Amino acid sequence: MIVSAWYSYIVLRETVVRKWPYIGPAIYRFLWHCINTMGNSCISKDHRRRTLEHGGTTASGGNGSGGGRYSETDYPSSHSTPTNHNSEQSGQSLNENRQARAQVTPLYMLASRDMAAAQPTFTSDISHVNSSDDEETEHVNQLMLRTLQVIRTLVDNEQEPPYAMLRLHEIAETENGWSKVVQAMIRVIPMDDPLGPAVITLLIDECPLPTMETVQRLYKALGISAHLASEAKCKPQRHRNIAAVLGCIAEKLAGPKSVSLLVPEIIEYLFSLLASKVNPQITLYALIALEKFSQTSENKLTIKKAGIAEKLVPLAQWAESSDLDHRQVGFCARWCLDNVFFVQGRSLTYETIDLDGLNAMLNDNDVSEYLKISPNGLEARSDVLSFESVRCTFCVDEGVWYYEVRVITNGVMQIGWATKNSKFLNHEGFGIGDDEYSFSYDGCRQLYWYNAKSRTHRHPPWKSGDIVGFLLDLDKKYMAFSLNGNILPPESEVFASAQTGFFAAASFMSFQQCEFNFGLTPFKYPPAGPFRTFNEYAKLTAEEKKILPRHKKMELIHQMSISETACSLCFDKEASVTFRPCGHGGFCPDCAIQLEQCPLCRTIIMQRLRSDSSTIGVEPGSTSNPNNNAVSVEETEEELEEEDS
Amino acid sequence: MAGLPRRIIKETQRLNSEPVPGISAIPDEMNCRLFMVTIDGPKDSPFEKGIFNLELFLPEEYPMAAPKVRFMTKIYHPNVDKLGRICLDILKDKWSPALQIRTVLLSIQALLSAPNPDDPLANDVAEKWKENEAGAIKMAKEWTLKYASAKR
Repeated sequence: MIVSAWYSYIVLRETVVRKWPYIGPAIYRFLWHCINTMGNSCISKDHRRRTLEHGGTTASGGNGSGGGRYSETDYPSSHSTPTNHNSEQSGQSLNENRQARAQVTPLYMLASRDMAAAQPTFTSDISHVNSSDDEETEHVNQLMLRTLQVIRTLVDNEQEPPYAMLRLHEIAETENGWSKVVQAMIRVIPMDDPLGPAVITLLIDECPLPTMETVQRLYKALGISAHLASEAKCKPQRHRNIAAVLGCIAEKLAGPKSVSLLVPEIIEYLFSLLASKVNPQITLYALIALEKFSQTSENKLTIKKAGIAEKLVPLAQWAESSDLDHRQVGFCARWCLDNVFFVQGRSLTYETIDLDGLNAMLNDNDVSEYLKISPNGLEARSDVLSFESVRCTFCVDEGVWYYEVRVITNGVMQIGWATKNSKFLNHEGFGIGDDEYSFSYDGCRQLYWYNAKSRTHRHPPWKSGDIVGFLLDLDKKYMAFSLNGNILPPESEVFASAQTGFFAAASFMSFQQCEFNFGLTPFKYPPAGPFRTFNEYAKLTAEEKKILPRHKKMELIHQMSISETACSLCFDKEASVTFRPCGHGGFCPDCAIQLEQCPLCRTIIMQRLRSDSSTIGVEPGSTSNPNNNAVSVEETEEELEEEDS
Repeated sequence: MAGLPRRIIKETQRLNSEPVPGISAIPDEMNCRLFMVTIDGPKDSPFEKGIFNLELFLPEEYPMAAPKVRFMTKIYHPNVDKLGRICLDILKDKWSPALQIRTVLLSIQALLSAPNPDDPLANDVAEKWKENEAGAIKMAKEWTLKYASAKR
């Protein structure tokens, strides 16, 4: 993969810069906050909406100055920051920015609060630094730690973008610099930071791709071999990080390069980390690295032949372990056996699992694409960069309801309640609590999320094994959240925009996992007053309970048939609309109404004619249109053009 | 499978049953909206004999919004920058929902045959292309050999 959150931002940034150059500064800040807040969304959404509104007004009204003024007044300090991004990222105006960089960087350095911490001795090009190698290494180490620290705390749109992270990207632009940055992460990212591996993924994803030679040099520098794994015991941090880095590289270079990079030494190294006596944190990331190498099918065969299955079968037994590090390994091992590496004679978990008494679970058809759901539908995990979300199968409209979540990993998850209207924009980094139809609790950053805005709550940060309680009272219109029985005051913000139709729902950042209890087993901290559980009121058929492995789903897709008379755009509904004046047809009303131009000839659509001769949508030129005159001129021109051709 | 629009299912089926010569697009096993793409460098272009990897992602709004495509293989081309982003009008303001994965990929293949240095994304490459076309073509050939030749 991965079409990362960051990649989407790049695309978005590009679009915005092209369309509305004058709101550049605003959007750059918005983009930075997207990244800073790591997929949680928050602010970013608000920025985006405001920015887009501006674009819209300006486009129709032709008043460009409004946009410019907006961005300047709203972000007084933004002028230096965006130029710096611009110079790095927007190829479109590379030249002028190169010139600008020399003048702007120092200004920006002064403006940045991070600057004091981030070594002022560093000049703009790493290859020209005269200091010794040691100093340089230490400097990159410091930048890395600073990035980790800053990312944890950035949740607010008034904060500065992290200078340290920016510098790391700049350094990684040369092949040599890339190696330095990657080696620094391996050295300094600590074991116990809940965001450590996520930051590794984020940084590597955003840096330019390394060449094969650079990665091979990195292998050499790290001394990758089967023998290397023997030092895992005394250097757990180093090996956890190496495994995490290898996984990212495999994913980034999926395809022929990933095949060339899966040398026998790498397989031996990763395999020896799968032994049961190795620290489970290391085993986990070694397993994830192998899974990511296997995204390329040739690698999958190689890894299979090397005997991955025998390694995974014992690990998969940890899936129900009460040791939560082991449990994560077990979850991933079982998931790989069901979805990636199949063993002859081993039946897939979904075929054998006993789901008697289970009436509510995570909805396998209402989930963003990369989330891994356990075969019993009560545990979920994400191992990708995007912000993965899921809803429960059961919807509640009235009464008092309660469910609990056991936190398996203590990183960023936003868990709470969402209606069907809440959208999963995983690649953009929006999840539960990031629109007006959902409200969530984030125990890592100690925040509530609603409408993509956050505010703090009084709970301490959650730890692995903690139990979070979610109470929803639809009669009195409030929600309440508890951590190990400690209840926070009621919240009712979300009821301003949604009254009924709530589902339990959650979003997961990279490498996060949790387990849901919808009432199948007794609650650890049941609320004092009367309440209901999904499991006692819901009902699921045996078919609905099946969580099919990916390859089984793919088979279903290839068998699905599509009607010949379906709409030529969505292939979903019947085609019944023809456009005037161009005369092109074959569209359904739902698609037709979204279009302003004919998708085939780009002629402006004047009329959408149904097969029963009725029309849909507002016709340009009708009396309700205030720009009646302008449109009729256009209309005449169109007609003339039509006649000409 | 619920959740995946029929439009995407239809295109996936057709890419499978009637592949385009010189182009392959295989859906990711984990994500039906993500396609791993390879495009063979067109004959008589500096990219001839190269095999270029790209990734193509169909956003939530597809087909009302364009797919997101980028080169994963390094390429010396005035309309592709170092992060692999492509400057092509149909991926931006000239997108039409009647275009498909296959037509997009054909357009990208055509862009390899006909680089357009007047609408550049990689400015340094574009300048080189305009100042010294022969030199630029030579460079593109070298990069093709270095980064895009089938090593295995």
